[in-house]
Amino acid sequence: MPGEVDTEDYADVWVFIEQHDGEAAKVSWELLAKGRELADEKGERLVALVMGDSVTHLAEEAIERGADEVLVAEDPIFEPYLPGPYGEQFRYLVEERHPDVVLIGGSHTGRDFAGRVAVPTYAGLTADCTELDIEPDTGLLLAKRPTFGGDAMATIKCVEHRPQMATVRPGVFDAAQPDPDREGTITEVEVVVDESHQRSRMIERVVGDITDITDANVVVAGGYGTEGDFGPVEDLAAALGGEVAATREAVEEGWIEAARQVGQTGKTVKPDLYIACGISGAIQHLEGMNDSKTIVAINDDPNAPIFDDADYGIVGDLFEICPALTELIEQKRGETA
Amino acid sequence: MSQEWNIVVCVKQVPDADDVSIDPDTGTLNRSDAEAVLNQPDYNAVESALQLREAVGGTVTAVTMGPPFATAVLQEAVALGADDGVLLTDRAFGGSDTWPTSLALAAIAEELDADVVICGEESTDSSTGQVPPGIAAHNDWSQLTYVEELEPNPEEDELIAVRDIEGGHEKVAASLPVVVAVGFGLNEPRIAGLHRKIYAENEFEPQEYSASDLGIEESVGLAASPTSVGGMATADPVERKREMVEDVETLFEELESTGAI
Ligand SMILES: Cc1cc2nc3c(=O)[nH]c(=O)nc-3n(C[C@H](O)[C@H](O)[C@H](O)COP(=O)(O)OP(=O)(O)OC[C@H]3O[C@@H](n4cnc5c(N)ncnc54)[C@H](O)[C@@H]3O)c2cc1C
Ligand SMILES: Cc1cc2nc3c(=O)[nH]c(=O)nc-3n(C[C@H](O)[C@H](O)[C@H](O)COP(=O)(O)OP(=O)(O)OC[C@H]3O[C@@H](n4cnc5c(N)ncnc54)[C@H](O)[C@@H]3O)c2cc1C
Repeated sequence: MPGEVDTEDYADVWVFIEQHDGEAAKVSWELLAKGRELADEKGERLVALVMGDSVTHLAEEAIERGADEVLVAEDPIFEPYLPGPYGEQFRYLVEERHPDVVLIGGSHTGRDFAGRVAVPTYAGLTADCTELDIEPDTGLLLAKRPTFGGDAMATIKCVEHRPQMATVRPGVFDAAQPDPDREGTITEVEVVVDESHQRSRMIERVVGDITDITDANVVVAGGYGTEGDFGPVEDLAAALGGEVAATREAVEEGWIEAARQVGQTGKTVKPDLYIACGISGAIQHLEGMNDSKTIVAINDDPNAPIFDDADYGIVGDLFEICPALTELIEQKRGETA
Repeated sequence: MSQEWNIVVCVKQVPDADDVSIDPDTGTLNRSDAEAVLNQPDYNAVESALQLREAVGGTVTAVTMGPPFATAVLQEAVALGADDGVLLTDRAFGGSDTWPTSLALAAIAEELDADVVICGEESTDSSTGQVPPGIAAHNDWSQLTYVEELEPNPEEDELIAVRDIEGGHEKVAASLPVVVAVGFGLNEPRIAGLHRKIYAENEFEPQEYSASDLGIEESVGLAASPTSVGGMATADPVERKREMVEDVETLFEELESTGAI
């Protein structure tokens, strides 16, 4: 069969360390934690891959956070990210070194480039996974992902091709913590790309605060029902020391930045408390917040589906309920302070 | 000098999300009774393609890979304004994962001499988002994914896009030929005009291609797919208390007593 390989020739779990301007995306550290587990289970090594312009500090950090070896491809051509050079360098390393499993963060950058790498290497690529396991008898990667808008969980396998690649949704696994005493090797690899691989050029790259809602203990989310006024949602979040989040609808309206979107095409959050304000409860939204410990829904429509997926529901106008709840919380804070 | 562009737009036929159900006993997906519709994010792709044609001139050809009845989504695209439609249909395509799917679409893009291929962000059924970069990789073309704004630059034979990234955006210029995945919701898709609709439903016939027409019969289908679906389960429903409370005070007390705040 086309592309079939001798699977025995492939070993080790690779994690791609996504970085921009020398700063690692948090999902990379999440993948190192999960990758460590998988590598131990398979009795193989955990290898981190760093591409960029000055990135040695990230290679050291990857070792502290669990990698046995770090492959470093250092060259100005890797900054800023463009799919051409990243794809080509990655292809070369895969063909040269034969990793068994490759994990890439499911950010827009990761998904842009994973899809590109999987083709020339004839890898099996599973998208946007939320669970990863090793099949006991075969040692195969079991990559699990929500499909049909989150109604079903599919388990995807790659039996005859290598590497077994997966992109993994940010926020699903806890980040690996650094241990300064850990040891590992750093290997500088040959850079095989030049300008001819670019095909596109970066005109500008604007990144503001990279808000991270995935770490928050409390998330207060607003939807279309806010009609663009996130004030009450922000105040409630502030009173609870939490982060503000939103539905895709609110992001599309331009009411709030995309980094705060929860759901299938946004972030996965699992805080202790999730308060949904003016959110109907579409399956694509639920998928990103269903693992929250306690869910509260505030909606003026008693038939809103969100109430079926909430621990506590209250029917009413969010513009009244949020401020009233904020006040009660602040009162309590005043009393205990 | 600039020329008119051959614009290909990829549209996928998917089961209507509201109709898909899961058999609680077997854990298998019941899509047979689901009506097949045009993948919602692909409306944005069609709209972008039409806007590009309006800006630079050229033609828009809608392409779908699927069973014969997937012609319906081509009709929809033609009704919206696409000039023509191509159906890739063949038993050999059955069971294709994203690797062969993107190969087939790459092959037809090459065959149609495409300058620009426009796709949706992802499908609503399997939602991998892997097909657009896959098409670009097979043809070794440039790619622009998660596009929020698109602007042609025919003088330079390039397409300039604003891409959504974590915490910000990138403005990238990509040389033609290029594969674009437009962000879901980036534009307001137009409504099909009545005349066009009548034409699409009554007169329009898609061009058909089989795998061997494209010379890829050995490289598509289940056997050529590196991944396989090893099982499907209903997503574990999380048990919720579903307690409706009457007023804010009660809500506050409940949250306090359970330690949620
Ligand atoms: C491929 C695909 C991917 C998607 N990905 C995502 C995703 O990642 N995240 C996401 O969120 N969505 C996603 N969606 C969109 C999703 O299907 C829904 O359209 C969206 O979640 C709805 O947002 P909403 O609840 O804010 O708006 P609506 O559905 O419009 O709900 C607004 C709610 O507010 C209530 N309301 C109105 N006024 C008030 C008031 N004053 N007080 C209290 N309640 C009020 C209304 O009763 C209503 O229930 C995706 C869709 C597709 C097709
Ligand atoms: C439950 C389930 C899970 C799956 N998971 C994976 C997986 O993890 N990895 C994998 O490789 N395969 C997977 N597949 C197979 C995959 O669904 C098929 O290859 C599918 O034909 C294309 O993938 P997609 O729908 O995810 O496309 P996406 O990449 O999400 O689609 C993006 C865009 O590409 C275009 N496009 C996609 N398909 C077509 C088409 N047939 N005709 C025209 N345009 C199209 C459309 O413009 C669409 O908006 C899975 C299948 C199922 C049933």
